[in-house]
Amino acid sequence: MAGSAEIRQLRRRIKTVKNTQKITRAFEMIAASRILKAQRRVNEARPYAEQITAIIRGLAASNEAHSHPLLTEWPDATRTGLVVLTSDRGLAGAYNANVLKRADAIIEHVEAQGNEVDLFVVGNKAQQHYKFRGRETTGAWSGVSDSPNYPDAAAVAADVMDNFTDGRYQDVQLVYTDFQSALNQVPTTMQLLPVDPSEFAGGEELSPEFIFEPDPQEILDLLIPKYVEAKIFAGMLESAASEHASRQRAMKSATDNAEDVVNTLTTVMNQARQDQVTTELTEIVGGAAALSDA
Amino acid sequence: MATFQVEVVSAETSVLSVEAEAVYARSLDGEIGILPGHQPVLLALDIAPVSIVTTDQTIRLAVHNGFLYYQRDSLVVLADIAERAEDIDVDRARRRREELERRETREDAAVAASIRKQDVRLSLAP
Repeated sequence: MAGSAEIRQLRRRIKTVKNTQKITRAFEMIAASRILKAQRRVNEARPYAEQITAIIRGLAASNEAHSHPLLTEWPDATRTGLVVLTSDRGLAGAYNANVLKRADAIIEHVEAQGNEVDLFVVGNKAQQHYKFRGRETTGAWSGVSDSPNYPDAAAVAADVMDNFTDGRYQDVQLVYTDFQSALNQVPTTMQLLPVDPSEFAGGEELSPEFIFEPDPQEILDLLIPKYVEAKIFAGMLESAASEHASRQRAMKSATDNAEDVVNTLTTVMNQARQDQVTTELTEIVGGAAALSDA
Repeated sequence: MATFQVEVVSAETSVLSVEAEAVYARSLDGEIGILPGHQPVLLALDIAPVSIVTTDQTIRLAVHNGFLYYQRDSLVVLADIAERAEDIDVDRARRRREELERRETREDAAVAASIRKQDVRLSLAP
């Protein structure tokens, strides 16, 4: 029969769930406020990438872009570089799992062809994932994913580009999460290297009266790495926005769930209390009846 | 005086968009001043300040590894990092410079470049 011990226990559980709910609600609100900021940063970074691309296109129309080492194919290379963008912290639903699933599929695909993968991972979650599976990572960064800065992207890009221009990789892929809307984020793969020459095609030739300092070929050689950096940076910003959106959703359902649990527990507790009252009453009435009978 | 449109775009955001009378910068090959109607140019910028002269003020920016593109009365400065003089964190730049100075690889090109970036920042600080 329900005793006061059980009621005390239920009361304690309700309190615990309510405390957890306070935390998840706080996380939810923090994430919600960061989504907007992250989204704004995605948009703010766009003009740079567009301008860089426009200038490269203009230059590529009258200059040789194909000879740049970042556009070179290395047919003899047997490795693929894979850049994986995850978050540092969990509590973001399936956000990391989805990215890592996609990355693992690529690894499997590459290894099925007899090639090997070099991993460049951003975020603690990916590091833990591969450490647990006994995979070496070629490069690892953390403390970036929450709000990425350009130098972070440049550091990753520099590492990847160095290895690529040494002729180690057939190609380099980037796996990130594309922020399509607050409700929809899609893990996406993008080829980083070699840069597809068609991305630089179709530019309007710069007028012949242009002054170049240094000469156009050198400017092109300086600009193309920026293009790769900007791509990685864009991936990082998209991923950050997605992370916050996933966290907000995950924390919202956790808060709602806590609400349900509290309601159920309260019902059970009230029933137990009623039972206890009834039992006590019966006992008193029974006791009084026994006394008056005597 | 005639003016032209100037935009400064860093990798992270649009820093500035103004009508300017003149822009002064330093390319890898030397100083350059641009007035309205200048011949089209495309420059790789040195680690150096860029000055933008508008009708009522002169805006100074620290620009690192940038490009300058001028065509048809519109000028774009593209850079990894572009900071307005008033936005520069002086203490941070100073600390960073001291830290870099202490390194043993001081002759390393990358470290030397970082030191110069801090110097540009500090030279602009109000």
